[in-house]
Amino acid sequence: MTAATRIIINEIRGYHRFLKFMIALVGLGALASLVRFIFGLGATTNLNDVYPWGLWISFDVVTAVPLAAGAFTLGAIVHCFHIKKLEPLVRPAIVTGFLGYSLVSVGLLLDLGQPQRAWHTMVYWNVHSPMFEVSMCIMAYTTVLFLEFLSPVCEKFGYHLPLRVLRWLEMPLVIGAASISTLHQSSLGTFFLIAVDKLHALWYNPLLPLLFWLSAIFTGISIIILEATMVHRFMGQPDESELLEVLTKILPWVLGVYLAVKLAATTLLSHGPLFDRPSLLALFVAEIVIGVVIPMVMFMKRAYREDQRMQLRGASQVIFGLVLNRFNVSMFGMEQADQAIYYPSVIESLVTIGIIAAHVLFFVLLAKYFPIFEHHPETVDYSIPDHAHSTAADHGHSPATGSGAVH
Amino acid sequence: MSSTSADFTTSKTFLIDTTKCTGCRGCQVACKQWNQLKAEDTKFFSGEGYQNPPLMSEYTFTRVKFKDYQKNGQNEFAFYKEMCMHCNEPACASVCPVGAFKKTTEGPVVYDAKRCIGCRFCMIACPFGVPKYEWSKAFPLVRKCTGCYSRIREGLQPACATACPTAITYGSRGDMLKEAEKRLKNRPERYHQAIYGKDEAGGTSVLYLTHQPLDELGFKPVTKRALPSYTWQALRLVPGIFLTVGSGLSLLSWFTHRKERIRREELFKNSKVEPETVNPETKEESR
Repeated sequence: MTAATRIIINEIRGYHRFLKFMIALVGLGALASLVRFIFGLGATTNLNDVYPWGLWISFDVVTAVPLAAGAFTLGAIVHCFHIKKLEPLVRPAIVTGFLGYSLVSVGLLLDLGQPQRAWHTMVYWNVHSPMFEVSMCIMAYTTVLFLEFLSPVCEKFGYHLPLRVLRWLEMPLVIGAASISTLHQSSLGTFFLIAVDKLHALWYNPLLPLLFWLSAIFTGISIIILEATMVHRFMGQPDESELLEVLTKILPWVLGVYLAVKLAATTLLSHGPLFDRPSLLALFVAEIVIGVVIPMVMFMKRAYREDQRMQLRGASQVIFGLVLNRFNVSMFGMEQADQAIYYPSVIESLVTIGIIAAHVLFFVLLAKYFPIFEHHPETVDYSIPDHAHSTAADHGHSPATGSGAVH
Repeated sequence: MSSTSADFTTSKTFLIDTTKCTGCRGCQVACKQWNQLKAEDTKFFSGEGYQNPPLMSEYTFTRVKFKDYQKNGQNEFAFYKEMCMHCNEPACASVCPVGAFKKTTEGPVVYDAKRCIGCRFCMIACPFGVPKYEWSKAFPLVRKCTGCYSRIREGLQPACATACPTAITYGSRGDMLKEAEKRLKNRPERYHQAIYGKDEAGGTSVLYLTHQPLDELGFKPVTKRALPSYTWQALRLVPGIFLTVGSGLSLLSWFTHRKERIRREELFKNSKVEPETVNPETKEESR
């Protein structure tokens, strides 16, 4: 056993029980993935010709993508709308986004029948396919997130030149991120436009892409609230409820627009009976009331906006509503009245749980070993050490900018 | 997919007159033979009547569906052949991210197994539920009726059409539509006045004539609009949205950063520091 291995194992031994539990779940998920590859999709999942898409598509793709939407949303709010106050929330959001999108790719590779051919989308193009569009966008966006994630990595190791390049790229990356994300968040809704005779009228309407994009925005904001509250409670980070109040002020507006569009689209633009299946109606009402109406009304009151417990509760409800909505569109609303219901198998469930655990685990580990939570004022001078000449006095840096490298 | 102007009158099309079908299932056998498909382990009475296999699958590209009904107090059978509809504007072709499906000029919608990544979007998209998956394999592909494309190319007719003694006629879509209309007009008491496949999904290369109303027989009601258009109405906006969001945010950023930019410039202007200059005569640097 090398010294490095021993160090790593000792480090892991010192981890909190919760992290060890996450590691166990990830391990189980990895085992389940191995079983999936050995025995094939037919034997290990409950997918069939009537329900070719199941838990892995519904959760690991259609739900996980909007759950990782905090990065582009917050990036736009902080850098484009210039609400500088929220700067400390950006970096954890980027880590969440990077992890989330990377894990979407993992889930997707497990779901494909020919994962070794996944590169085919880069070579064989079909511009009429929403899945082609989503796969191109997700590849592009994961790259953007990776570049944004490089900042804390470079800071940790003191690579100043890349940091200067990244800072120069910051605005293009933020704007690119928001543009690309708008495309793929909405195109996940476009997926289901083709299921015109299959998706129930409660969810099927031509504005699905717009609804998916709006819900991604308010979900991204809510995930930031959830995550900031959790890291305060469990990872010793400061109480950011003052910053979060800015976000809870924005939420009711986005939720309100979404509600208006959704109700208009469902009543005016859908074709087909809305009230013929009571269980689906119940799911629809739950999604709207718990996930949209209650949080929206809650956060219209200042007392609730400022209170940390209420912030968490409201944000959690929004997230629950989003998960329910994505499952309603991709799974429950697609259940045909005369067919047996699909439910995920043990292997499917273990893999999805493992993926969620991996997200939590790697977020905590990244926060542990990289400067994610340290505030990084953008006026820090990442000067490239000049070894050729001795630098005398400051070269006319104006007092507004700070100086001094950060390690 | 702006092929609304495309002309499908020369597309090879099946005309399946279910009033002439005897339920012999020669089509099922011929298809299995030609495509070298495995037989399936089934029970004899696994659906209505003598319907067998119970479902279409990776091993069954076509089957005859039985329907029991009563007429003048007598028990009667109706039959119809379930198969890929070889749509004029196929949903499967529009959603496949790698373009593995193609509507050929000859008529059949063919699948290129070598491109397929196994994502199963085609299965979600097809309104008729045609593509099936090789659930038995570790690396599954999609399976469906090929329209006997290789036979068509050699001037033959599809295996099922060749085997069928009564019900299937095969020819250009224009001719088959004319024939169908003729039969509907000449014997209105024999036929339900509709041609399934004429407009369904924007028009298909499989046309059915029936005696019973379509939903009674078990034909799925399908939109009359070509399915790719549902997606395209949203996807065509992608480049525009990208440019709008990108330029909108750029403009917004320019404005919101303006104050800070101006402040920085003012500070620099008001600072006591002079930029380095080189005296052009003495080549001396001054601070």
